[in-house]
Amino acid sequence: MDTIHACFKEKIGEVLLPGDVFSFRLPESGDGSIKSEKIICGPGLRRNGEEVRVCKSGILRHKQPNMYWIDSQQRRYVPAKGESVIGIVTTKSGDVFKVDVGGSEQASLSYLAFEGATKRNRPNVQVGDLVYGQFTIANKDMEPELVCIDSCGRANGMGVFGADGLLFKVSLGLVRRLLAPQSEIIKDLEKIFPFELVVGMNGRVWVKAKTVQQTLIVTNLLETSENMTSQQRQTLFKRVAEGSL
Amino acid sequence: MSPMKLCVPGERLCSTEDCIPGNGTYLRHGSIFASLAGYVLRKNEGEELPVISVVRETEAQLLPDVGAIVTCKVTSINPRFAKVHILYVGSTPLKDRFRGTIRREDVRATEKDKVETYKSFRPGDIVLAKVISLGDVQSNYLLTTAENELGVVVAHSEAGAQMVPISWCEMQCPRTHAKEFRKVARVQPEYLQA
Repeated sequence: MDTIHACFKEKIGEVLLPGDVFSFRLPESGDGSIKSEKIICGPGLRRNGEEVRVCKSGILRHKQPNMYWIDSQQRRYVPAKGESVIGIVTTKSGDVFKVDVGGSEQASLSYLAFEGATKRNRPNVQVGDLVYGQFTIANKDMEPELVCIDSCGRANGMGVFGADGLLFKVSLGLVRRLLAPQSEIIKDLEKIFPFELVVGMNGRVWVKAKTVQQTLIVTNLLETSENMTSQQRQTLFKRVAEGSL
Repeated sequence: MSPMKLCVPGERLCSTEDCIPGNGTYLRHGSIFASLAGYVLRKNEGEELPVISVVRETEAQLLPDVGAIVTCKVTSINPRFAKVHILYVGSTPLKDRFRGTIRREDVRATEKDKVETYKSFRPGDIVLAKVISLGDVQSNYLLTTAENELGVVVAHSEAGAQMVPISWCEMQCPRTHAKEFRKVARVQPEYLQA
């Protein structure tokens, strides 16, 4: 008799493809009553009546107590509400800026959505500037909307940035690893030399170090650490640290 | 029926002494001219002069009028309004699809400024609405759903199944059991088919 958790546990850490199905019968305990178990299906899993189907290819992950999801690798970004992204301002039309966030549509950013902006006091945003903002509206039916303030009205690190530095694109999986609370990649990089880093969830990363050469070194290290194991990465960083010092 | 004559706007049909002007015609300098492009129809009214009118098609089309309940399909949504295609007026289907707009403040009767279009309609929903204005030349019909009996009647979930209403603001998909927000119409029990 398979329980729900038992079905999933076998496959944690395995690669699953779209179309794989988990079907299970509810377990019956000794006195004939049916015990119900609750699981939370994260991204990549979808319930279809009495079974759970896999929608994206990737590795099945598990988080206590009952959350399961598919960790998939993709480069194309799909806007989602609440995510912080780096955008490039493309046009200024009236009260609204059009910002390229790497999705299927350009996002709109109102000039009032900056800290301390009023109708008289307009923010200093030019075409080609980099902005770090959050999505308030992001779904497949409407044009996405960005804001550079939080719900209290404070900037909280968002807004226009990046006078110098380099913007480059990485895969979404690497971005998630960089944004994890105890990111090993960031910790290893800090030991080499100091630099400024802005990570957007749309796969865009902005780096600025003291000299142009250091900026390029950090860029190359970040791009290569996508496909390396932590062992290989640490040896590479060590070599770079010895070489540059 | 004898083959009917075609006419274009501006064509002189006859003089006022022969006929009385009807729909699609106007009077100028003692003659009757056509104002629409279509077929010329002459109707004999009895002792009076026949009425001459111009019709687009042989059958008269039912147009949505102010206060009529229409059935429409949502084509696109916007934070400020939703664009729809009007399919039925009452229970008669229309041959052409007229375009309508449902503004954000016309979606509900209460709490008008807290309405989010994304939580009321989605593209592809079938909506019952009422006409509040015919609009001018360039704008569409203005519609409203600010009543209990108006709103979304048929909607499909993101999984593709037809959803079941569970309250005036939520519908549930029978396959994935996911709930989605819509402004649901309270259809009278006699119109529901089991």
